[in-house]
Amino acid sequence: MAIQVSGITKRFGEFTALDAVDLEVKSGELLALLGPSGSGKTTLLRIMAGLEGPDAGSLHLNGEEALGLKPRDRQVGFVFQHYALFRHMTVFDNVAFGLKVRPRGQRPGAAEMRRRVTELLELVQLAPFGSRYPAQLSGGQRQRVALARALAIEPKVLLLDEPFGALDAKVRKELRRWLRKLHDDIHITSVFVTHDQEEALELADRVVVMNQGRIEQIGTPADVYDHPASAFVYEFLGQVNRFDCMVEGGIARVGNGTLAIPTEGGVQGPAVAYVRPHDLGVSPATGGPGRIAGIHVVGPDARIEIDLAGLALEAEMDRERLATLGIVAGDRCSVHIDRARVFAR
Amino acid sequence: MPADNTSASSARSESAWVRWTLIGGALLFLALFLLLPLVVVFAEALRRGVDAYWTALTEPDAVAAIQLTLTVAAIAVPANLLFGVAASWCIAKFDFRGKNLLITLIDLPFSVSPVVSGLIYVLLFGMNGLFGPYLRSHGIQIIFAVPGLVLATIFVTFPFVARELIPLMEEQGSDEEEAALVLGASGWQTFWRVTIPNIKWGLLYGVLLCNARAMGEFGAVSVVSGHIRGETNTMPLHVEILYNEYNFVAAFAVASLLAMLALVTLVVKSALEWRFGDELAATRH
Amino acid sequence: MTVINAPATALRQPFFKKPSILPGFGLTLGFTLSYLGVLVLLPLAALVVKAGGLGWVGFWTAVTSPRVLAAFQVSFGLSFVAALVNAVFGFLVAWVLVRYDFPGRRLVDALVDLPFALPTAVAGIALSALYAPNGWVGKPLNDLFGLKVAFTPIGIAVALTFIGLPFVVRTVQPILQDLPPEEEEAAASLGASRLQTFFSVIMPALLPALVTGFALSFARGVGEYGSVIFIAGNMPGLTEILPLLIVIKLEQYDYVGSAAVGTAMLLVSFLMLLVLNLLQQWMRSRHAR
Repeated sequence: MAIQVSGITKRFGEFTALDAVDLEVKSGELLALLGPSGSGKTTLLRIMAGLEGPDAGSLHLNGEEALGLKPRDRQVGFVFQHYALFRHMTVFDNVAFGLKVRPRGQRPGAAEMRRRVTELLELVQLAPFGSRYPAQLSGGQRQRVALARALAIEPKVLLLDEPFGALDAKVRKELRRWLRKLHDDIHITSVFVTHDQEEALELADRVVVMNQGRIEQIGTPADVYDHPASAFVYEFLGQVNRFDCMVEGGIARVGNGTLAIPTEGGVQGPAVAYVRPHDLGVSPATGGPGRIAGIHVVGPDARIEIDLAGLALEAEMDRERLATLGIVAGDRCSVHIDRARVFAR
Repeated sequence: MPADNTSASSARSESAWVRWTLIGGALLFLALFLLLPLVVVFAEALRRGVDAYWTALTEPDAVAAIQLTLTVAAIAVPANLLFGVAASWCIAKFDFRGKNLLITLIDLPFSVSPVVSGLIYVLLFGMNGLFGPYLRSHGIQIIFAVPGLVLATIFVTFPFVARELIPLMEEQGSDEEEAALVLGASGWQTFWRVTIPNIKWGLLYGVLLCNARAMGEFGAVSVVSGHIRGETNTMPLHVEILYNEYNFVAAFAVASLLAMLALVTLVVKSALEWRFGDELAATRH
Repeated sequence: MTVINAPATALRQPFFKKPSILPGFGLTLGFTLSYLGVLVLLPLAALVVKAGGLGWVGFWTAVTSPRVLAAFQVSFGLSFVAALVNAVFGFLVAWVLVRYDFPGRRLVDALVDLPFALPTAVAGIALSALYAPNGWVGKPLNDLFGLKVAFTPIGIAVALTFIGLPFVVRTVQPILQDLPPEEEEAAASLGASRLQTFFSVIMPALLPALVTGFALSFARGVGEYGSVIFIAGNMPGLTEILPLLIVIKLEQYDYVGSAAVGTAMLLVSFLMLLVLNLLQQWMRSRHAR
């Protein structure tokens, strides 16, 4: 089912959580709403679910106006950030809840209900845990119960609010892959909210980057990472070197001219330039303008801190390359940049 | 209660004699002020033997007083239960202006003297009260009758359920209710299947305290009762009359029933705190 | 293009209530306000209206008559004494319950709530039987020290101590329980004696709770009726408490006079409620960690 968001605005008192947001979620895709806290991503998700009402705008689910519909009539599965499992119900009863509260005519019989709940518990690999209570489960298990519970009502859309936010790093990674696989199997239109760029880039078909109630960019993970549309997206996605420069005739000059970088986009005058650490080349050069201020090896990669006439830069390369270059802290070096994106200041 | 306070490090513990002096002092004080009054009730009640005790409890006025006390509590407690649930629902689940003022007003009856709590209803519904002439012309009697007792009891037990439930429900938040609504539950289904099971022990706790006070209230009902034997005398009022007539055995016999009610209340309360402490607001801070 | 929807615009009222999808706000708030209004606020208003019939001068005269002033003195003075006793012994009880283990600790802990659960009239006759000149405690006190408790101001203080004790214990106890042990250990490691640690580290941390407990106990004492009247003796000017004076005035059909005293007491309770709220804010700000 496709979701169409047009001109949605939401204010909390003086604070504008969403500012005329337009967005289309395609049927069957897995979409990430990515942004820092306060960017409005959770509010947008809650509006889709019917947990909040917007101040203006419209929302269409599968082409039909949905703002007037109550949450229960939207056929939406919602996974809460802290799962919101019913603490006094067993795992089984939690998953069965959505079926049990249906009007008498649509309620499945006891046997059918048992079959479907069991099926869902198998899907989320929790079949042996049906009679446990939420308090007796680990974080990752609770998260999967929440997912099974949301899927039980056979929703047309699955909405997940920071689905991995409360988990530790290892479980988070496993569950992320598992969710991706689950989505590939059942192909339900899904939207998830996250503030973790790695999560969004790895998991989603498309990423929506949000900031201060507005959408900064929509695109595939590769798109938004390689071609950030704004300074914000550049800074928010991945490590980045940021420095002030002057652009004249397509060449950005930094500081007193120690660095001249070809730029894309027709910016002229004072600007901010962004360079990813792995796009920053370093070579040893006696009497070169830069100095290696420090080298930090993190796993297979090396981070090199460079002092370029007072400008602190960071480069990243694998350890093999570092060994080939044979540089150590304190060496002089030269710096070359193939690619920089500049935005007018 | 932490179980580990015996293993306190030596930097935090006193020498044995200081410890036992303090324990002894505390226990002596509690014995004089709490334990002995409780013991004396039963001792005095049984002073003339079990027969006299039994006679005092089964004489018609005593039975009428017991019945009246049960009746008043049976009306006042459910009324305040309903109120407590409604008040805590709107206060804990919603944000609105004037919420803090509302909470303060709900707590208000606790800071009003019991006698004043009775007095206000006399001034409202008594013969010379604001509604007195109207009530008299319609033949409705509230003061010196059961309705007055119920009203005064409702007033003094007003906050018990609400003040237990509000912090509990505020702490639990609305996530589970929202989840239920998204899963297709109606408002009532959400309330009965999600909210009530989550607050049931807190609810029972509030009702327990509310009931103990409702059955034991003296000052407020004393003012509105009129002390008509066999008609408007609740158990505590009956105790007073018997005591003032120097019928001590009978007075303490009826009092012993109330003391047993208090003990049962304490036992159930402790059991709830012990077993379901993390599902009660009162045991947290 | 911005489409304004009907359900969305309905939410754009000036902020009274944050929108929420949970149902039942109107119903429950309506019920709460009606119930509160009819059963609590309206009757309290009736009290003030009745007293207001006297006018300012009449009201002032009514509440400053010698008998009323004496009752004020008895109620407030003895509540203060009882609250002080409770502050000391309530603290001791809380300390012993939290810090030490001894046989029956759990039982004693439960017993502390007895004054909350025991009907005041029962407490009243029990205390007066106990502390009467021929009572279990009253007789030895009388024989050994010539001290009369029942039917004197001391008796009133005893009853008010009984009533107010749990307030101090139950306010201090949780705070004492949550006191981080590190602070005491730090003090000890810096060379402080146990007594120095107590007065310079523990007491300051517990003071807000202790003062709050004292105030709660005091406030309860001022309004207390049932447990006091049996042991008090009820001599006008000496052992007559304020609530009893209201009852007496009512029995003499002096509705306005009792309303005046009742209003004065109500004003005092409001004042104490205010003080208590401030105290609790102080307590929270101290313990917000």
